Amino acid sequence: MTASVKISLQAVEKRYASPRGEDVTALAPVTLDIASGEFVCLVGPSGCGKTTLINLMAGFEKSSAGTVSIDGNPVRGTDPDHVMIFQEYGLYPWRTVLGNVLFAVEAKGLKGKEALEKATEYIELVGLTKSSDSFPRQLSGGMKQRVAIARALAVEPSVLFLDEPFGALDAFTRMYLQDELLRLWQEKRPTMVFVTHDLDEAVYLGGRVVLMAPGPGRVQRVITIPLPWPRDRTGESLGKYRRELFEEFHLVHQQAAIEAEYAI
Amino acid sequence: MAFRSALYSKLLPALSLLAFLALWQVAAGFWPPELFPTPAAVARALRELAQTGVLWSHIAVSLARFVTAYLAAVALAVPLGLFLGRNPRCRQAIDPLVQVLRPISPIAWFPLAVLWFGIGNAPAVFIIFLAAFYPVLLSTISAVIGIPPVYLKVASNFGAKPGAVFLRVIIPAAFPGIMVGLHIAVGTAWIHLVAGEMLGAQSGLGYLIVDARNFMRTDSVMAGMLVVGVLGLGINQLMRRAESWLSRRWGGVA
Repeated sequence: MTASVKISLQAVEKRYASPRGEDVTALAPVTLDIASGEFVCLVGPSGCGKTTLINLMAGFEKSSAGTVSIDGNPVRGTDPDHVMIFQEYGLYPWRTVLGNVLFAVEAKGLKGKEALEKATEYIELVGLTKSSDSFPRQLSGGMKQRVAIARALAVEPSVLFLDEPFGALDAFTRMYLQDELLRLWQEKRPTMVFVTHDLDEAVYLGGRVVLMAPGPGRVQRVITIPLPWPRDRTGESLGKYRRELFEEFHLVHQQAAIEAEYAI
Repeated sequence: MAFRSALYSKLLPALSLLAFLALWQVAAGFWPPELFPTPAAVARALRELAQTGVLWSHIAVSLARFVTAYLAAVALAVPLGLFLGRNPRCRQAIDPLVQVLRPISPIAWFPLAVLWFGIGNAPAVFIIFLAAFYPVLLSTISAVIGIPPVYLKVASNFGAKPGAVFLRVIIPAAFPGIMVGLHIAVGTAWIHLVAGEMLGAQSGLGYLIVDARNFMRTDSVMAGMLVVGVLGLGINQLMRRAESWLSRRWGGVA
């Protein structure tokens, strides 16, 4: 079974000039293919370029070299078919839950009753029907992120980018939302690219985990986790991959520490 | 406890008002009445002005000028602020000009205003306009600059058209900041209304005060000042009410 390639990165590189005029490499050339419907986690310490990489794929930034293409088309900017979910939710505080989801649906071109039905359907999907008329301020962090997920899914994108979506949530809410996200993914099957700095989260969610390293940002290793979902968080089978990832991460960390010493 | 705090919230201001009146009464004793009238004399003057109808026509004129100038300032400053907030290049170009013009008190424009517009409504309206214009302009610009980038990223990601982004994201996102400017501008505009009318107008509350001074009617001067203060308070309260009503509609964040 070879799934078709959805996102293709060919020697993608990101450099920028620092305020002092130095040439800084945020991301050394990365080559990576992501299959259609795959769940890929990008994980690594800060400065490893994982956010840069997801921004390049989502079209919020432009690469300095190499090509990013989705469905064979080079990414030139943002696209309603490839939706990003942010850690800070990005909900509009002046709109209700329904209003926020409607914004996306209407931007896509749906109108009136059709738009309302679509928005309502996806609010129900994330279990927020009762809070439909609430404003974001009245919701907990976990509920806000569910609204953002409903808003993203409501336009029925083929790719979902998630930039540390659960980073600001407490541990219990995070675990609950991880399971919710897996449920929604298995129901709708978009391609998922999930950025996190939490190794456990990456191992629990990802079909593949891309471990990244800093200085300059690069891909250290790609680990495939061929376990079915839902996974047992404490099970031995997941534990094996978890250990492998932690060992590799430890190496990355040591290298980073040594390089930092030299830099001083 | 609730009853006591409610009592205090009424009682304490009443007490300080009484103390102020008592102090005024005592102080007035040291000067001749034509220099420093007593509260009672001012109250009499106020009644006299109200009964002859002079007061009401001056109030009506002042309010009309205030509303005209304020609305004109808002109508110009908000769109200009939105535009400059979205265009860093234009902002850079215009910023030094604004920084030089802004510290000039609207009162300083008075001689030119009279030369250009003559005596009458126009110079006073022009001065109130200037007083309201800058606070609204500057707060609108900073409100637009302060819009969290993620709001615009989300809009662009879902493919919202530029017009929709402007109307449905930029304006509502900047709204709480614009509201702050509108509120500040009401205060500065009202203060400058009286100043503007004292200098060149033939009617209005400012004129009432100057006119009374010319006849050495200090009791009427103080009565006029009192009316200006009370109306200013009323306008501010109205503004606050409008603000809280709007912010409730805005999701309770403003």
